[in-house]
Order: sequence, then C-alpha cells, then structure tokens
Amino acid sequence: MAHSECAFSDTGDITTNKEAIQGLCLSMCPQEEVDMRVRESMVHALEAGGRLVKRYGRSAADRDMARPRLLRPFPTLRDTVEYLLLEVTFRTDVPLAVVYDFVNDRLRAVRQDMIIQRLPPRECQVLLEPMVRFYVYFGYRLCEHPMRVYDPVLNKKYLLECLQLILNCYDEIYDEELAADVSELGNHGSLDKKVTNEEVDQLAATICGLELKDQSKTSEYTKLSCDRVLMESLYILCNLEDTNPLMRYHQLPKDLRSHRTLALAYEVAVENMRGNYVAVVKLSTKMCPLTFCAYSTYLPVLQKKALLVLSHAYNSTQLSVPCQAVRKWLSYNSDADVLEAVKHYGLKVTGDSIHFRKADFNKEAVVLIKKNLKKKMDLSIVRDVFSYETTSV
Amino acid sequence: MNKTSVIMATGSLNQYIQYVERVYRTGQGNVLARLLSLRDDHVRNKNLRSSDIASLVEGNCIAPLDEIIIAHLLTVEALLIDDYASANSHQSACVASVVKLLQSQKEENWGLPLLYTVSLDLRYVAQRAEHRDPQSNGKILEKAAESLLACFRVCAADNRSSEEDTKRIGMLNLVNQLLKVYFKINKLHLCKPLIRAIESSPFRDQFPLAQKITFKYFVGRKAMFDSDYKSADEFLSYAFQLCHKDSWKNKRQILTYLVPVKMLLGYMPTMALLEKYDLMQFWELVQAVKSGNLRDIDRVMEEHERFFIKAGIYLIVEKLKITAYRNLFKLVYMAEKSHQIEILSFQAALHMMGQIDIDADETQCIVANLIYDGKIKGYISYQHKKVVVSKQNAFPPLASLY
Repeated sequence: MAHSECAFSDTGDITTNKEAIQGLCLSMCPQEEVDMRVRESMVHALEAGGRLVKRYGRSAADRDMARPRLLRPFPTLRDTVEYLLLEVTFRTDVPLAVVYDFVNDRLRAVRQDMIIQRLPPRECQVLLEPMVRFYVYFGYRLCEHPMRVYDPVLNKKYLLECLQLILNCYDEIYDEELAADVSELGNHGSLDKKVTNEEVDQLAATICGLELKDQSKTSEYTKLSCDRVLMESLYILCNLEDTNPLMRYHQLPKDLRSHRTLALAYEVAVENMRGNYVAVVKLSTKMCPLTFCAYSTYLPVLQKKALLVLSHAYNSTQLSVPCQAVRKWLSYNSDADVLEAVKHYGLKVTGDSIHFRKADFNKEAVVLIKKNLKKKMDLSIVRDVFSYETTSV
Repeated sequence: MNKTSVIMATGSLNQYIQYVERVYRTGQGNVLARLLSLRDDHVRNKNLRSSDIASLVEGNCIAPLDEIIIAHLLTVEALLIDDYASANSHQSACVASVVKLLQSQKEENWGLPLLYTVSLDLRYVAQRAEHRDPQSNGKILEKAAESLLACFRVCAADNRSSEEDTKRIGMLNLVNQLLKVYFKINKLHLCKPLIRAIESSPFRDQFPLAQKITFKYFVGRKAMFDSDYKSADEFLSYAFQLCHKDSWKNKRQILTYLVPVKMLLGYMPTMALLEKYDLMQFWELVQAVKSGNLRDIDRVMEEHERFFIKAGIYLIVEKLKITAYRNLFKLVYMAEKSHQIEILSFQAALHMMGQIDIDADETQCIVANLIYDGKIKGYISYQHKKVVVSKQNAFPPLASLY
C-alpha cells in the first residue's frame, strides 16, 4: 500500500489520519466558551448547575474552527453524546421541544468536531448511531407539535445526514477489512489495538446477526449500542419514497440482508411501493421500537395515499364503507380520527359511513398528521430507546 | 501508416518526439491520438522507457507537447510495473495538459481525438486503480470524473467558433464517459445536468450515431431508476434498434433493461429473442407473470437473484408482481363468467398461488390498487364483498394504459 499513499496524497483521503488535527479539549465545553457564555449569561436552562456543552457554530472566516484547544477528542465526544442522550433527554423540567432543540444543537457541534478532526470510521459510527436514534425517536415524539416549536423537515435533514455518514462508515470499515485481508493487519496507526479488535468482533457479530451477549466484551462505550442492522433498517424506513435504500439493501451481504429486522424493513418498503397499505400496517406490528417510530412518522403519508386509492376503488354514488374498516386498514387510533381525516381530504360522511367518491378527494390538502398511538413497546422508557439492540428484541 | 507503426514500435525516443511534433504541427488529430494512447503498439517500445524521461524530453520538444509526452510516458512506465495508483495520477496530469492545449486552440477542433483518447485511457486506468485499492470506495473514480468534467467544459464552453470548427461536437463523447463513471460509482444524481446539456445542445442530431446510442442507453437506464418507464422504453428501444446488429454484447446489455421495462408496460418478450441474446433468466419470469403464478415468481426471483441484483433490476421484478396479480384476477374473472366477482374468489386464487397470508382485507387492497391504476375497470362493494367490473374491457390491455 505504500506507493498508493504517496501517489494519492492529493486526494486527501488516505493520508488523513496523519494530517488530521487532534483535539485537546478534554471537557464537554472548551474553557473559552464556558467563560464567554457565563460572562454574557448565555447558559442554557439545561446547563444550569454547571455542565456546559459546546454549542454548534457555523464556520466563519473570522473564526478558526480547527484550533485543537476548541476541539474535543473522541473519548470526550463519546462522553458528551452519552451525557446528552442518557441524561439530558430525561429532563422533564423544560418542555420536550426545548430538550430537543438543545440536544440537537449540541449533537451538531459533536458532528462538527468529529468531521474537523477526521475521526476514523470506527469512532464515527459510535458517535453517529445514538444521533440517528435521537432524530428518529424525537421525530416521532414531536410529530404533533406545531411548526414554530418543531420543524419535521429540519429533523429529517439532520437524520439523513447522520444516516448517510454512518452508512459511509460501514462501507469504509468493510473496505478496510477487505484491504486487511490482502495486506497485513495492524497499520491503523492511531487506534488502540485492543479497542480495534474488540470492535472488529462487534462488527462481525452484528454482520453475522449473532447475538452479542458476552458481557466480558462490553467495552465502556457500548452503553450506547452498536447496531448496524438497526441503522440499515432505519435508512430504508426513513426513506420510504426513495428507491436508493432498496438498491443499497440488494447490495448488502446476504447474512445481513436476511436478518429479520432488516428483511422486515425491506418487505415494508416493497409493499409500500406496491401500494399495499394493508400489508404495511400488518407488518408494522412486528417492528422494534425505533423502526416503529420511523414507520409511524411516515404513516400519515401512507394514509393519505391510501385514502386516494380507496376513493377510486370504492367510488360509488350509493355505496359506502364503514369507518371501522378504514380504521383497521390504515391503523387509525380511533373512529373519530378516521372521520376527521376523510373530511379533511374532502370526502363525505354520513354517521360512521364514508362515501368514497374520486371526484371529492382533495389531492392538494396537506397531509394530516396524527401521532400513531398503537405502540407495542413502552416508548416512555427513553433509556431503552437509545441503547437496545435489534438482536435482543 | 503501417510503416510508421513499425517505426513507433522500435524507433528511438527522439524519433518518437519528432514524429509527435510533426503530426501536431500538421494537425493530424487521429494520428496524434494514437501516439499518445495507452492502447497503441508504441507502449511496448523499450526505447521510450527511461528512469529519467522528464529530463530527456524537456528542452527536446516544443511546449506544451513536452508536458503531455512526459506524463504519457510516465504512465506507460507505471503500468509496466503494475503500479496503477501512479499510472492514474500521471494519466490525470496528461489529461490536464491536453485540456490546456485544447483550450489554447481557438477556432479549431482537430485535437478532439486526442482528448477522447487520453480521457478514455484515464477512465480505464482509474477503474483499475479503483479495483486495486479497496480503501478508495469510489474516490479514485470520482477524482477521474472531475478530470473528465474539465474535458467536457473545454468542449461545452467553445461557443465562439464556427460550426465546423467547434469543439462542442466533442461534448457527447465526454458526457458518455462521465455517465459510465457515475453509474459505476452510483452517483446518478450527477447525471441530470449532463443529460440536459446534451438534450438542449444545437448539435443534438449531429453527434455520431454510436455516441447517440450510448447516450440513449444511459438516459434510458436513468429514467428506469426514476421509475419513468415510458421514457425508459423510448430511450432503450432507440438504443436497441439502432445498435449495430453485430454488437451482440451491447444489444444484450440494452435488452437486460429493456425487457423488464417492456414487461412492466405490458409487452412480453418472445422466447426466440431471449434465446438469441442468452437472457433466458427472463423466460421463466415471463411465464410466471403471464399466468399470475406468484409462487413461480418467488422461485424465479430466488433462483436468479444474483443476476437481477447485479443488473440492478430486482426492484422492477418486485413491481412485476402487480402485473401478476392483475393476470391472476383476470383468469378468475374469465372462469367466473360474471361481472360481479366475490372478493373470496380472488382470495382463493391467491391462496392457490401460495400467498396464504393474504386475507380478505389485503385482497381488497390489492384489487383497490389495480382499480386505481386503471388495470381493472370497476369498483368494489364493501357491503357485498364483491368487485363489480365493467361490462366492456374490464381488464384493459396493460399496453393501452401508458
């Protein structure tokens, strides 16, 4: 590999680890920022009591983002993510949307530190996976909040950003392992060898779909778990209108593809592509908490599309369909919710009978969002949401 | 020409340089391209190798040809010792120098063959380098695409020259190379501006036929990925019909995509066609879809999974199940000889085909989608659990729907 390193130094990829800046800030917030924010009284309600966390800042010409004193190395970033997700998200003294905004901002700062330091993929995935879980879970929890406190479009943007990054990490790790097969092992300069081997084991276990139960192997940062199957599943379920995740799925190794959580996500996506809402709703009962959150966030779109199909298929001047049937097909929480939705889309209702007429359906109406309450797991146990593994569900 | 080939395969470095200079001065684009190609006999000429090529050429050759020759011979050198990474960076340098050369040539386009050759060579070398370096993850090819894009820009930006001398006629060659790379590294979203540049070009119809065919092939595949099957059919059909009848391999390649697209649109291929192009993987699928045999579809999909996935058409095959549902329900309708068909009859047919998990609700859902898509003319009565189909043309031919 030696020759390729010098030949490609201009691509800035292979030699990154040597050139990368190493953060020196060993607390969650650089002292400079702590001093400034205390002085200017810019301490967030969730930071009162002393634990400040570095804020996200846009890169600007007058600020040197890359100063090592302002950057946190991987162990500090990992602790920061853990603190944010396993402590801050439990806070109930401020509204949920405020918790979300705060954690989101601080996670963006973590990503920024991670990217500026060009951390290796094995470290990045440890930071990114909890972030994906966070955006999926809060996307569900906050879906009924008004635009001014919660913006689902931005949430989706951050979610996809994290998913894309973590999938790249998986691909890089996979390629690295291929490379390790051909050349000799042990040239991952900056990584502690013990940690590397451990993570290789973890990855191998995930890929094989085996359960990782050996407690002695639980390193300090598996408190937030590493679950590639879950991430690949969420990539599919958070992009149900897009065929790219399905193409990616086809290219994955077979043992990964056949893992039941991932196979289920794929099946849901294919049935959704065929318009089979009954099958999608049926399959959703088998989902794990986070895939269920992702599906629930999409459900209002599925309901609208299905009601349009129904308006054509049951189109009649005399006949009607009882709202109980529609509730079951489209997984509405209650008959009242069904009636509200069909009226919202312009359809006529008598008692609890819905008159489907294709001419009545208002395609332009915005998607009516209702939180899906049919929960299989108790999603109020937040800690579990950020740490459970699909193999144990 | 044969004589020069011999000289080039055995001549001295100075002879080579002089010859390159002469064809350059006399504007012989094709010969110049050959002399700087990695696929020409002269690369085997031992006299053109030296550990110190740069100093031997420098001062011995007019600018900017010297840069090009140096980069070219360094690439050859690297390829001989199997060092694809260095070969790739030297060939990139070669392309960059050729780009500079063409930029400086106003009102003339005879240098285009050289541009085509060095950029095609770059793509080949980059593909090898990519293959050799598992850590690249597409980045080497991405980098090559940037070089190709620089070539494309030289051509696209040449809008002052007269029509016969414009380099814009070279756009399509480079767009095709870029499309090939983007498909390979799965960056389909980058194709769109290139496709638009060609479709809106005033030279749209004057590009060489072979290039037009390649272009339509990629645009067709792109449309297919965007689920725009009608356009995909149009482009791929064009490519297939105009592709030279002796290019069996290319025709087969086009058919790999055209066949499933046609099937989705309701046109089933003949056995003779599939046999001729060694695409019998589709034949069982055709049979299964035609007869609505969902069990067979699952079996065929499993059996030929590698083929369908490798070709990137697995999802289309998933969509063909909808056609199979339609065909199955049509069989039920013909057997019942009635315009009112029980949902239960459809459900029973699905069960016979191994779809035992499908209940009455899901059967209704499948029928509902077929009605919405116009594949069944009629409506469902929830109260009677029946599908009431139109007295005429209850199952219109799929081909009539698009």
